[in-house]
Amino acid sequence: MIVELIANGVCAFAGAVAFAVLFSVPRHFYIGCGITGAAGWCVYLILEEYAGLSAAIASFCGTLVVVLLSRMLTVRMKCPITIFLVSGVIPMVPGAGIYYTTYYLVMNQLGMAASKGLEAVKVSFGIVLGIAIVLSIPRDVFQKGYWKQLKYHRKKKNILN
Amino acid sequence: MRIQQVKDNKIQYLDLLQFADPNEEALEKKLDTMDLFLLKEDGVIKTICAVRFRKNRKCEILSIVTMEEARGCGYGKYMVHYICEHYSDRCDELYVGIGNCRKLLGFFEKCGFSNSHILAGYFLKKYKEPVYDDGIPLTDMVYFKKRLEAEIDIKKVVDVALEAGRILLKNGGEIFRVEETMTRICNRFHIDQVDIFTLSHAIFVTAKSGEEEVYTKVKNVPLSGTHLGIVAEVNSLSRAISAGRMSLEEAQKRLKEIDKIEPIHPGVQIIGAGFASGCLGYLLGATARESVVAFFIGCILYCWVLLARRYHMSKIISNIAGGVIITGLALAAREVPWLAPVQLNGMIIGALMPLVPGMAFVNSIREIADSDFLSGTVRMIDTLLVFVYIAIGVGLTLSIYHTLGGIVG
Repeated sequence: MIVELIANGVCAFAGAVAFAVLFSVPRHFYIGCGITGAAGWCVYLILEEYAGLSAAIASFCGTLVVVLLSRMLTVRMKCPITIFLVSGVIPMVPGAGIYYTTYYLVMNQLGMAASKGLEAVKVSFGIVLGIAIVLSIPRDVFQKGYWKQLKYHRKKKNILN
Repeated sequence: MRIQQVKDNKIQYLDLLQFADPNEEALEKKLDTMDLFLLKEDGVIKTICAVRFRKNRKCEILSIVTMEEARGCGYGKYMVHYICEHYSDRCDELYVGIGNCRKLLGFFEKCGFSNSHILAGYFLKKYKEPVYDDGIPLTDMVYFKKRLEAEIDIKKVVDVALEAGRILLKNGGEIFRVEETMTRICNRFHIDQVDIFTLSHAIFVTAKSGEEEVYTKVKNVPLSGTHLGIVAEVNSLSRAISAGRMSLEEAQKRLKEIDKIEPIHPGVQIIGAGFASGCLGYLLGATARESVVAFFIGCILYCWVLLARRYHMSKIISNIAGGVIITGLALAAREVPWLAPVQLNGMIIGALMPLVPGMAFVNSIREIADSDFLSGTVRMIDTLLVFVYIAIGVGLTLSIYHTLGGIVG
Protein backbone atom coordinates (compact mmCIF):
# COMPACT_ATOMS: atom_id res chain seq x y z
CA MET A 1 0.00 0.00 0.00
CA ILE A 2 2.77 2.41 0.94
CA VAL A 3 4.70 1.66 -2.26
CA GLU A 4 1.56 2.28 -4.26
CA LEU A 5 0.91 5.52 -2.43
CA ILE A 6 4.43 6.76 -3.09
CA ALA A 7 4.23 5.78 -6.77
CA ASN A 8 0.94 7.63 -7.05
CA GLY A 9 2.34 10.65 -5.27
CA VAL A 10 5.33 10.83 -7.61
CA CYS A 11 3.08 10.44 -10.63
CA ALA A 12 0.69 13.13 -9.42
CA PHE A 13 3.65 15.44 -8.83
CA ALA A 14 4.97 14.86 -12.35
CA GLY A 15 1.49 15.18 -13.85
CA ALA A 16 0.81 18.48 -12.09
CA VAL A 17 4.17 19.86 -13.24
CA ALA A 18 3.42 18.69 -16.79
CA PHE A 19 0.15 20.61 -16.72
CA ALA A 20 1.98 23.65 -15.38
CA VAL A 21 4.17 23.43 -18.49
CA LEU A 22 1.09 23.32 -20.72
CA PHE A 23 -0.22 26.51 -19.09
CA SER A 24 3.18 28.23 -19.46
CA VAL A 25 3.64 28.69 -15.73
CA PRO A 26 7.01 30.28 -14.84
CA ARG A 27 9.63 27.77 -13.80
CA HIS A 28 10.01 28.73 -10.15
CA PHE A 29 6.39 27.76 -9.45
CA TYR A 30 6.79 24.16 -10.66
CA ILE A 31 7.60 22.73 -7.24
CA GLY A 32 4.58 24.42 -5.67
CA CYS A 33 2.33 23.07 -8.43
CA GLY A 34 3.73 19.58 -7.99
CA ILE A 35 3.25 19.62 -4.23
CA THR A 36 -0.38 20.74 -4.45
CA GLY A 37 -1.10 18.14 -7.10
CA ALA A 38 0.56 15.31 -5.16
CA ALA A 39 -1.05 16.26 -1.83
CA GLY A 40 -4.52 16.55 -3.32
CA TRP A 41 -4.28 13.26 -5.14
CA CYS A 42 -2.87 11.38 -2.13
CA VAL A 43 -5.78 12.56 0.02
CA TYR A 44 -8.22 11.55 -2.71
CA LEU A 45 -6.60 8.14 -3.08
CA ILE A 46 -6.49 7.39 0.64
CA LEU A 47 -10.13 8.32 1.10
CA GLU A 48 -11.43 6.65 -2.03
CA GLU A 49 -9.41 3.47 -2.13
CA TYR A 50 -8.44 2.72 1.45
CA ALA A 51 -11.21 4.36 3.45
CA GLY A 52 -13.87 3.27 0.98
CA LEU A 53 -15.64 6.60 0.65
CA SER A 54 -17.44 7.56 -2.55
CA ALA A 55 -15.49 9.28 -5.31
CA ALA A 56 -17.50 12.48 -4.88
CA ILE A 57 -16.66 12.87 -1.19
CA ALA A 58 -13.05 11.90 -1.78
CA SER A 59 -12.66 14.48 -4.54
CA PHE A 60 -14.33 17.06 -2.31
CA CYS A 61 -11.76 16.44 0.44
CA GLY A 62 -8.92 16.29 -2.07
CA THR A 63 -10.00 19.63 -3.49
CA LEU A 64 -10.17 21.13 -0.01
CA VAL A 65 -6.53 20.21 0.52
CA VAL A 66 -5.54 21.51 -2.90
CA VAL A 67 -7.23 24.87 -2.45
CA LEU A 68 -5.93 25.34 1.09
CA LEU A 69 -2.39 24.56 -0.01
CA SER A 70 -2.62 26.82 -3.05
CA ARG A 71 -3.95 29.70 -0.99
CA MET A 72 -1.05 29.37 1.42
CA LEU A 73 1.47 29.15 -1.42
CA THR A 74 -0.14 32.12 -3.16
CA VAL A 75 0.32 34.36 -0.16
CA ARG A 76 3.85 33.13 0.31
CA MET A 77 4.99 33.51 -3.30
CA LYS A 78 2.82 36.53 -4.14
CA CYS A 79 1.31 35.24 -7.35
CA PRO A 80 -2.16 34.48 -8.76
CA ILE A 81 -3.81 31.48 -7.11
CA THR A 82 -4.83 30.00 -10.48
CA ILE A 83 -1.27 28.78 -11.03
CA PHE A 84 -1.45 26.22 -8.23
CA LEU A 85 -5.17 25.65 -8.29
CA VAL A 86 -5.47 24.43 -11.86
CA SER A 87 -2.56 22.04 -11.83
CA GLY A 88 -3.63 20.75 -8.42
CA VAL A 89 -7.27 20.10 -9.30
CA ILE A 90 -6.75 18.57 -12.73
CA PRO A 91 -6.02 14.97 -11.65
CA MET A 92 -9.44 14.88 -9.99
CA VAL A 93 -11.39 16.36 -12.91
CA PRO A 94 -13.53 13.45 -14.10
CA GLY A 95 -11.85 12.78 -17.43
CA ALA A 96 -12.20 9.04 -16.86
CA GLY A 97 -15.88 9.44 -16.08
CA ILE A 98 -16.47 11.05 -19.45
CA TYR A 99 -14.63 8.30 -21.22
CA TYR A 100 -16.58 5.55 -19.50
CA THR A 101 -19.88 7.30 -20.14
CA THR A 102 -19.13 7.49 -23.84
CA TYR A 103 -17.81 3.96 -23.87
CA TYR A 104 -20.95 2.47 -22.36
CA LEU A 105 -23.14 4.62 -24.58
CA VAL A 106 -21.39 3.18 -27.61
CA MET A 107 -21.68 -0.33 -26.21
CA ASN A 108 -25.40 0.30 -25.74
CA GLN A 109 -25.25 -0.31 -21.98
CA LEU A 110 -27.38 2.66 -21.08
CA GLY A 111 -27.69 1.84 -17.39
CA MET A 112 -23.95 1.77 -16.89
CA ALA A 113 -23.56 4.91 -18.99
CA ALA A 114 -26.08 6.78 -16.84
CA SER A 115 -24.43 5.69 -13.59
CA LYS A 116 -20.96 6.64 -14.82
CA GLY A 117 -22.24 9.97 -16.11
CA LEU A 118 -23.97 10.72 -12.83
CA GLU A 119 -20.82 9.86 -10.94
CA ALA A 120 -18.83 12.28 -13.09
CA VAL A 121 -21.40 14.99 -12.30
CA LYS A 122 -21.18 14.18 -8.59
CA VAL A 123 -17.40 14.37 -8.65
CA SER A 124 -17.62 17.74 -10.41
CA PHE A 125 -19.94 19.01 -7.72
CA GLY A 126 -17.53 17.77 -5.07
CA ILE A 127 -14.77 19.81 -6.68
CA VAL A 128 -17.05 22.84 -7.07
CA LEU A 129 -18.02 22.75 -3.40
CA GLY A 130 -14.44 22.27 -2.27
CA ILE A 131 -13.22 25.27 -4.22
CA ALA A 132 -16.15 27.48 -3.26
CA ILE A 133 -15.86 26.75 0.46
CA VAL A 134 -12.15 27.41 0.82
CA LEU A 135 -12.25 30.47 -1.41
CA SER A 136 -14.85 32.08 0.83
CA ILE A 137 -12.41 32.14 3.76
CA PRO A 138 -11.25 35.75 4.10
CA ARG A 139 -7.88 36.56 2.64
CA ASP A 140 -6.37 37.84 5.90
CA VAL A 141 -6.38 34.41 7.51
CA PHE A 142 -3.64 33.30 5.13
CA GLN A 143 -1.44 36.31 5.80
CA LYS A 144 1.52 35.72 8.07
CA GLY A 145 0.80 38.75 10.20
CA TYR A 146 -2.73 37.64 11.05
CA TRP A 147 -1.79 34.82 13.39
CA LYS A 148 0.96 36.85 14.99
CA GLN A 149 -1.50 39.63 15.67
CA LEU A 150 -4.03 37.18 17.06
CA LYS A 151 -1.44 35.78 19.44
CA TYR A 152 -0.43 39.26 20.45
CA HIS A 153 -4.00 40.27 21.22
CA ARG A 154 -4.59 37.13 23.21
CA LYS A 155 -1.48 37.76 25.27
CA LYS A 156 -2.57 41.30 25.87
CA LYS A 157 -5.98 40.12 27.02
CA ASN A 158 -4.42 37.61 29.39
CA ILE A 159 -2.25 40.28 30.92
CA LEU A 160 -5.21 42.59 31.33
CA ASN A 161 -7.26 39.87 32.95
CA MET B 1 5.19 49.53 2.24
CA ARG B 2 1.94 51.47 2.60
CA ILE B 3 1.06 55.06 3.27
CA GLN B 4 -2.13 55.97 5.06
CA GLN B 5 -3.66 59.23 6.11
CA VAL B 6 -4.61 59.62 9.76
CA LYS B 7 -8.06 61.14 10.11
CA ASP B 8 -8.78 61.11 13.82
CA ASN B 9 -6.93 60.82 17.10
CA LYS B 10 -3.92 62.58 15.68
CA ILE B 11 -2.73 63.52 19.12
CA GLN B 12 -1.28 60.06 19.77
CA TYR B 13 1.39 60.70 17.14
CA LEU B 14 2.40 64.00 18.68
CA ASP B 15 5.49 62.73 20.44
CA LEU B 16 6.74 61.20 17.18
CA LEU B 17 6.42 64.56 15.46
CA GLN B 18 8.10 66.42 18.30
CA PHE B 19 11.40 65.00 17.29
CA ALA B 20 11.50 67.42 14.39
CA ASP B 21 9.93 70.35 16.17
CA PRO B 22 10.42 70.52 19.91
CA ASN B 23 7.83 73.25 20.25
CA GLU B 24 4.97 71.13 21.52
CA GLU B 25 2.35 73.80 21.97
CA ALA B 26 2.78 75.22 18.50
CA LEU B 27 2.39 71.77 16.99
CA GLU B 28 -0.61 70.93 19.09
CA LYS B 29 -2.36 74.08 17.93
CA LYS B 30 -1.82 73.17 14.32
CA LEU B 31 -2.95 69.61 14.85
CA ASP B 32 -6.53 70.11 13.73
CA THR B 33 -5.71 71.85 10.49
CA MET B 34 -2.95 69.59 9.26
CA ASP B 35 -2.99 66.32 7.37
CA LEU B 36 -1.04 63.49 8.92
CA PHE B 37 0.47 60.64 6.90
CA LEU B 38 2.03 57.43 8.16
CA LEU B 39 4.30 55.16 6.16
CA LYS B 40 4.10 51.64 7.50
CA GLU B 41 6.00 48.53 6.63
CA ASP B 42 4.75 45.24 8.11
CA GLY B 43 2.53 47.29 10.41
CA VAL B 44 5.45 49.24 11.90
CA ILE B 45 5.53 53.01 11.49
CA LYS B 46 8.66 54.05 9.62
CA THR B 47 8.01 57.62 8.60
CA ILE B 48 5.50 60.21 9.70
CA CYS B 49 4.74 63.43 7.91
CA ALA B 50 2.51 66.43 8.65
CA VAL B 51 1.30 68.76 5.90
CA ARG B 52 -0.74 71.94 6.06
CA PHE B 53 -2.61 73.91 3.43
CA ARG B 54 -1.64 77.53 2.78
CA LYS B 55 -3.41 80.19 0.75
CA ASN B 56 -3.32 80.35 -3.07
CA ARG B 57 -2.99 76.64 -3.81
CA LYS B 58 0.09 76.19 -1.71
CA CYS B 59 0.89 73.68 0.97
CA GLU B 60 3.70 73.14 3.44
CA ILE B 61 5.38 70.16 5.03
CA LEU B 62 5.36 71.00 8.72
CA SER B 63 7.35 68.06 9.84
CA ILE B 64 8.71 64.81 8.47
CA VAL B 65 10.34 62.23 10.71
CA THR B 66 11.78 58.83 9.91
CA MET B 67 12.29 56.51 12.86
CA GLU B 68 15.90 56.40 13.93
CA GLU B 69 16.47 52.74 13.07
CA ALA B 70 14.86 53.07 9.63
CA ARG B 71 16.94 55.93 8.28
CA GLY B 72 18.89 55.65 5.06
CA CYS B 73 16.40 53.19 3.53
CA GLY B 74 14.64 55.70 1.29
CA TYR B 75 11.43 55.85 3.32
CA GLY B 76 11.62 59.63 3.66
CA LYS B 77 12.17 60.13 -0.04
CA TYR B 78 9.26 57.84 -0.82
CA MET B 79 7.06 59.79 1.56
CA VAL B 80 7.97 63.14 -0.02
CA HIS B 81 7.31 61.65 -3.44
CA TYR B 82 3.90 60.48 -2.27
CA ILE B 83 3.02 63.85 -0.75
CA CYS B 84 3.93 65.60 -4.01
CA GLU B 85 1.58 63.39 -5.93
CA HIS B 86 -1.17 63.47 -3.36
CA TYR B 87 -1.38 67.25 -3.39
CA SER B 88 -0.66 67.75 -7.08
CA ASP B 89 -4.35 68.13 -7.95
CA ARG B 90 -5.07 70.72 -5.24
CA CYS B 91 -1.84 72.68 -4.97
CA ASP B 92 0.74 74.16 -7.29
CA GLU B 93 3.61 74.55 -4.87
CA LEU B 94 4.86 72.58 -1.90
CA TYR B 95 6.97 74.36 0.72
CA VAL B 96 9.11 73.07 3.50
CA GLY B 97 10.85 75.08 6.20
CA ILE B 98 13.97 73.64 7.79
CA GLY B 99 16.81 74.76 10.02
CA ASN B 100 20.19 75.50 8.54
CA CYS B 101 21.28 71.90 8.83
CA ARG B 102 23.35 70.46 6.02
CA LYS B 103 21.87 66.96 6.09
CA LEU B 104 18.29 68.12 5.68
CA LEU B 105 19.20 70.63 2.99
CA GLY B 106 20.82 67.82 1.02
CA PHE B 107 17.82 65.57 1.47
CA PHE B 108 15.29 68.05 0.13
CA GLU B 109 17.56 69.05 -2.73
CA LYS B 110 17.66 65.42 -3.74
CA CYS B 111 13.87 65.32 -3.66
CA GLY B 112 13.75 68.10 -6.23
CA PHE B 113 13.23 71.13 -3.98
CA SER B 114 14.91 74.45 -4.63
CA ASN B 115 15.61 77.51 -2.49
CA SER B 116 12.71 79.84 -1.86
CA HIS B 117 13.46 82.27 0.95
CA ILE B 118 15.10 82.55 4.36
CA LEU B 119 13.63 83.76 7.61
CA ALA B 120 16.72 85.11 9.31
CA GLY B 121 16.99 84.59 13.05
CA TYR B 122 13.72 82.59 13.20
CA PHE B 123 14.93 80.06 15.76
CA LEU B 124 16.38 82.73 18.01
CA LYS B 125 13.11 84.62 18.10
CA LYS B 126 10.64 81.73 18.39
CA TYR B 127 12.36 79.45 20.87
CA LYS B 128 13.49 80.52 24.30
CA GLU B 129 16.25 77.92 24.50
CA PRO B 130 18.77 77.44 21.71
CA VAL B 131 17.96 74.55 19.37
CA TYR B 132 20.69 72.24 18.19
CA ASP B 133 20.85 69.88 15.26
CA ASP B 134 23.93 67.72 14.79
CA GLY B 135 25.69 69.91 17.30
CA ILE B 136 25.17 73.11 15.33
CA PRO B 137 22.97 75.81 16.86
CA LEU B 138 20.10 76.67 14.54
CA THR B 139 19.48 80.29 13.72
CA ASP B 140 17.72 80.78 10.37
CA MET B 141 14.73 79.03 8.87
CA VAL B 142 15.37 78.11 5.24
CA TYR B 143 12.32 77.64 3.04
CA PHE B 144 12.45 75.26 0.11
CA LYS B 145 9.79 74.90 -2.53
CA LYS B 146 8.85 72.48 -5.24
CA ARG B 147 6.51 72.95 -8.15
CA LEU B 148 4.01 70.12 -8.24
CA GLU B 149 3.47 68.57 -11.62
CA ALA B 150 0.16 69.04 -13.33
CA GLU B 151 -2.49 66.40 -13.05
CA ILE B 152 -1.90 63.09 -14.73
CA ASP B 153 -3.93 62.67 -17.89
CA ILE B 154 -7.01 60.59 -17.16
CA LYS B 155 -7.06 59.08 -20.64
CA LYS B 156 -3.54 57.85 -20.37
CA VAL B 157 -4.18 56.22 -17.02
CA VAL B 158 -7.32 54.48 -18.21
CA ASP B 159 -5.54 53.27 -21.33
CA VAL B 160 -2.76 51.71 -19.29
CA ALA B 161 -5.27 50.13 -16.90
CA LEU B 162 -7.30 48.77 -19.80
CA GLU B 163 -4.23 47.33 -21.46
CA ALA B 164 -3.32 45.54 -18.24
CA GLY B 165 -6.88 44.22 -18.00
CA ARG B 166 -6.87 43.05 -21.60
CA ILE B 167 -3.61 41.14 -21.20
CA LEU B 168 -4.90 39.50 -18.02
CA LEU B 169 -8.22 38.46 -19.51
CA LYS B 170 -6.64 37.18 -22.70
CA ASN B 171 -4.22 34.93 -20.88
CA GLY B 172 -6.64 33.30 -18.48
CA GLY B 173 -6.92 35.76 -15.60
CA GLU B 174 -10.09 35.69 -13.54
CA ILE B 175 -12.72 38.41 -13.83
CA PHE B 176 -12.19 39.74 -10.34
CA ARG B 177 -8.42 39.92 -10.88
CA VAL B 178 -8.98 42.00 -14.01
CA GLU B 179 -11.26 44.39 -12.17
CA GLU B 180 -9.04 44.59 -9.11
CA THR B 181 -5.92 45.30 -11.15
CA MET B 182 -7.62 48.03 -13.18
CA THR B 183 -9.08 49.68 -10.09
CA ARG B 184 -5.71 49.56 -8.37
CA ILE B 185 -3.94 51.23 -11.26
CA CYS B 186 -6.60 53.94 -11.56
CA ASN B 187 -6.66 54.66 -7.83
CA ARG B 188 -2.92 54.84 -7.66
CA PHE B 189 -2.95 57.68 -10.18
CA HIS B 190 -5.74 59.49 -8.34
CA ILE B 191 -8.71 58.58 -10.47
CA ASP B 192 -11.11 57.55 -7.76
CA GLN B 193 -14.33 57.11 -9.66
CA VAL B 194 -13.89 54.11 -11.91
CA ASP B 195 -16.57 51.69 -13.00
CA ILE B 196 -15.46 48.49 -14.63
CA PHE B 197 -17.69 45.85 -16.11
CA THR B 198 -15.96 42.73 -17.33
CA LEU B 199 -17.38 39.86 -19.32
CA SER B 200 -15.50 36.75 -20.29
CA HIS B 201 -14.45 38.38 -23.55
CA ALA B 202 -14.91 42.15 -23.15
CA ILE B 203 -14.05 44.98 -20.79
CA PHE B 204 -16.04 48.19 -20.33
CA VAL B 205 -14.52 50.97 -18.30
CA THR B 206 -15.71 54.44 -17.38
CA ALA B 207 -13.58 56.83 -15.39
CA LYS B 208 -14.39 60.24 -14.00
CA SER B 209 -12.01 62.64 -12.39
CA GLY B 210 -12.81 65.81 -10.54
CA GLU B 211 -14.88 67.98 -12.84
CA GLU B 212 -17.04 66.94 -15.72
CA GLU B 213 -14.42 64.95 -17.57
CA VAL B 214 -15.69 61.44 -18.25
CA TYR B 215 -13.83 58.86 -20.26
CA THR B 216 -15.29 55.57 -21.45
CA LYS B 217 -13.74 52.75 -23.36
CA VAL B 218 -14.83 49.30 -24.52
CA LYS B 219 -12.39 46.58 -25.40
CA ASN B 220 -13.12 43.30 -27.09
CA VAL B 221 -10.88 40.48 -25.90
CA PRO B 222 -11.13 37.39 -28.08
CA LEU B 223 -10.77 34.06 -26.30
CA SER B 224 -7.36 32.52 -26.71
CA GLY B 225 -4.83 30.26 -25.07
CA THR B 226 -3.77 30.28 -21.46
CA HIS B 227 -0.44 31.73 -20.37
CA LEU B 228 -0.27 31.87 -16.60
CA GLY B 229 3.26 33.25 -16.69
CA ILE B 230 1.91 36.46 -18.20
CA VAL B 231 -0.87 36.60 -15.61
CA ALA B 232 1.73 36.32 -12.86
CA GLU B 233 3.84 39.06 -14.46
CA VAL B 234 0.93 41.50 -14.74
CA ASN B 235 -0.02 40.67 -11.16
CA SER B 236 3.41 41.61 -9.84
CA LEU B 237 3.39 44.71 -12.03
CA SER B 238 0.10 45.77 -10.46
CA ARG B 239 1.61 45.24 -7.02
CA ALA B 240 4.56 47.41 -7.95
CA ILE B 241 2.27 50.13 -9.28
CA SER B 242 0.02 50.27 -6.26
CA ALA B 243 3.05 50.32 -3.95
CA GLY B 244 4.17 53.41 -5.86
CA ARG B 245 7.37 51.95 -7.22
CA MET B 246 6.46 52.60 -10.83
CA SER B 247 5.44 55.60 -12.90
CA LEU B 248 2.86 55.54 -15.65
CA GLU B 249 5.40 55.54 -18.47
CA GLU B 250 7.38 52.70 -16.92
CA ALA B 251 4.18 50.71 -16.48
CA GLN B 252 3.25 51.26 -20.10
CA LYS B 253 6.64 50.07 -21.28
CA ARG B 254 6.59 47.05 -19.02
CA LEU B 255 3.10 46.06 -20.23
CA LYS B 256 4.33 46.10 -23.81
CA GLU B 257 7.21 43.83 -22.85
CA ILE B 258 4.90 41.48 -20.98
CA ASP B 259 2.52 41.24 -23.90
CA LYS B 260 5.35 39.98 -26.07
CA ILE B 261 6.38 37.13 -23.77
CA GLU B 262 6.30 33.94 -25.82
CA PRO B 263 4.68 30.76 -24.53
CA ILE B 264 6.97 27.91 -23.56
CA HIS B 265 8.69 26.29 -26.55
CA PRO B 266 6.27 23.99 -28.48
CA GLY B 267 8.64 21.01 -28.20
CA VAL B 268 8.70 21.32 -24.42
CA GLN B 269 4.92 21.65 -24.40
CA ILE B 270 4.54 18.48 -26.43
CA ILE B 271 6.77 16.54 -24.04
CA GLY B 272 4.81 18.10 -21.17
CA ALA B 273 1.54 16.88 -22.67
CA GLY B 274 3.09 13.43 -22.97
CA PHE B 275 4.03 13.42 -19.30
CA ALA B 276 0.60 14.72 -18.35
CA SER B 277 -1.02 11.87 -20.28
CA GLY B 278 1.28 9.18 -18.95
CA CYS B 279 1.21 10.25 -15.31
CA LEU B 280 -2.51 10.91 -15.10
CA GLY B 281 -3.21 7.71 -17.00
CA TYR B 282 -1.28 5.83 -14.35
CA LEU B 283 -3.16 7.63 -11.57
CA LEU B 284 -6.51 6.82 -13.16
CA GLY B 285 -5.85 3.12 -13.30
CA ALA B 286 -3.70 2.35 -16.34
CA THR B 287 -0.87 -0.13 -16.05
CA ALA B 288 2.73 1.04 -16.44
CA ARG B 289 2.84 -0.31 -19.99
CA GLU B 290 -0.34 1.51 -20.94
CA SER B 291 0.99 4.71 -19.38
CA VAL B 292 4.03 4.59 -21.62
CA VAL B 293 1.80 4.21 -24.66
CA ALA B 294 -0.37 7.06 -23.36
CA PHE B 295 2.78 9.20 -23.16
CA PHE B 296 3.36 8.83 -26.89
CA ILE B 297 -0.29 9.27 -27.80
CA GLY B 298 -0.37 12.42 -25.68
CA CYS B 299 2.66 13.81 -27.53
CA ILE B 300 1.08 13.20 -30.93
CA LEU B 301 -2.23 14.61 -29.74
CA TYR B 302 -0.63 17.82 -28.58
CA CYS B 303 1.06 18.30 -31.95
CA TRP B 304 -2.46 18.39 -33.37
CA VAL B 305 -3.66 20.77 -30.64
CA LEU B 306 -0.82 23.19 -31.38
CA LEU B 307 -1.48 22.96 -35.10
CA ALA B 308 -5.18 23.65 -34.59
CA ARG B 309 -4.33 26.62 -32.38
CA ARG B 310 -1.98 28.09 -34.95
CA TYR B 311 -4.64 28.00 -37.67
CA HIS B 312 -7.36 29.23 -35.29
CA MET B 313 -9.58 26.22 -35.84
CA SER B 314 -12.85 26.17 -33.96
CA LYS B 315 -13.08 24.21 -30.73
CA ILE B 316 -15.59 21.81 -32.25
CA ILE B 317 -13.18 20.63 -34.91
CA SER B 318 -10.04 20.56 -32.80
CA ASN B 319 -11.58 18.64 -29.91
CA ILE B 320 -13.60 16.14 -31.94
CA ALA B 321 -10.56 15.44 -34.09
CA GLY B 322 -8.47 15.17 -30.91
CA GLY B 323 -10.82 12.49 -29.58
CA VAL B 324 -10.67 10.65 -32.89
CA ILE B 325 -6.86 10.78 -32.95
CA ILE B 326 -6.56 9.45 -29.40
CA THR B 327 -8.96 6.57 -29.92
CA GLY B 328 -7.54 5.69 -33.32
CA LEU B 329 -4.00 5.59 -31.99
CA ALA B 330 -5.05 3.56 -28.95
CA LEU B 331 -6.87 1.04 -31.18
CA ALA B 332 -3.77 0.85 -33.39
CA ALA B 333 -1.48 0.36 -30.39
CA ARG B 334 -3.55 -2.63 -29.37
CA GLU B 335 -2.74 -4.31 -32.65
CA VAL B 336 1.03 -3.95 -32.24
CA PRO B 337 2.13 -7.41 -31.14
CA TRP B 338 5.13 -6.53 -28.95
CA LEU B 339 3.12 -4.00 -26.93
CA ALA B 340 0.55 -6.54 -25.75
CA PRO B 341 -1.15 -6.81 -23.38
CA VAL B 342 -2.56 -3.28 -23.33
CA GLN B 343 -6.16 -2.24 -22.74
CA LEU B 344 -7.98 0.55 -24.45
CA ASN B 345 -9.38 2.23 -21.32
CA GLY B 346 -6.12 3.14 -19.65
CA MET B 347 -4.50 4.53 -22.77
CA ILE B 348 -7.49 6.60 -23.85
CA ILE B 349 -8.17 8.06 -20.40
CA GLY B 350 -4.55 9.08 -20.01
CA ALA B 351 -4.20 10.61 -23.44
CA LEU B 352 -7.51 12.44 -22.97
CA MET B 353 -6.30 14.51 -20.06
CA PRO B 354 -4.41 17.25 -21.96
CA LEU B 355 -7.65 18.04 -23.79
CA VAL B 356 -9.65 18.43 -20.57
CA PRO B 357 -10.42 22.15 -20.10
CA GLY B 358 -9.20 22.38 -16.51
CA MET B 359 -8.54 26.10 -16.69
CA ALA B 360 -12.01 27.05 -17.89
CA PHE B 361 -13.56 24.63 -15.37
CA VAL B 362 -11.75 26.07 -12.37
CA ASN B 363 -12.28 29.66 -13.47
CA SER B 364 -15.98 29.13 -14.05
CA ILE B 365 -16.40 27.70 -10.56
CA ARG B 366 -14.54 30.59 -9.04
CA GLU B 367 -16.61 33.13 -10.89
CA ILE B 368 -19.87 31.49 -9.88
CA ALA B 369 -18.59 31.40 -6.31
CA ASP B 370 -17.94 35.13 -6.66
CA SER B 371 -21.60 35.54 -7.79
CA ASP B 372 -20.48 36.60 -11.25
CA PHE B 373 -23.00 34.31 -12.90
CA LEU B 374 -22.74 35.74 -16.38
CA SER B 375 -19.05 35.02 -16.92
CA GLY B 376 -19.30 31.87 -14.82
CA THR B 377 -22.02 30.31 -16.97
CA VAL B 378 -20.29 31.28 -20.19
CA ARG B 379 -17.13 29.50 -19.11
CA MET B 380 -19.07 26.58 -17.64
CA ILE B 381 -20.83 26.05 -20.96
CA ASP B 382 -17.45 26.28 -22.67
CA THR B 383 -16.18 23.52 -20.37
CA LEU B 384 -19.22 21.31 -20.84
CA LEU B 385 -19.14 21.67 -24.61
CA VAL B 386 -15.47 20.73 -24.76
CA PHE B 387 -16.27 17.62 -22.71
CA VAL B 388 -19.09 16.81 -25.11
CA TYR B 389 -16.85 17.31 -28.16
CA ILE B 390 -14.21 14.99 -26.75
CA ALA B 391 -16.87 12.40 -25.99
CA ILE B 392 -18.23 12.70 -29.54
CA GLY B 393 -14.77 12.16 -31.00
CA VAL B 394 -14.05 9.12 -28.86
CA GLY B 395 -17.55 7.70 -29.23
CA LEU B 396 -17.57 8.14 -32.98
CA THR B 397 -14.35 6.22 -33.48
CA LEU B 398 -15.32 3.47 -31.06
CA SER B 399 -18.72 2.95 -32.66
CA ILE B 400 -17.31 2.88 -36.18
CA TYR B 401 -14.76 0.32 -35.07
CA HIS B 402 -17.50 -1.63 -33.34
CA THR B 403 -19.76 -1.62 -36.39
CA LEU B 404 -16.91 -2.75 -38.59
CA GLY B 405 -16.70 -5.82 -36.41
CA GLY B 406 -13.83 -4.92 -34.12
CA ILE B 407 -13.97 -5.91 -30.49
CA VAL B 408 -14.05 -2.92 -28.17
CA GLY B 409 -13.13 -3.37 -24.52
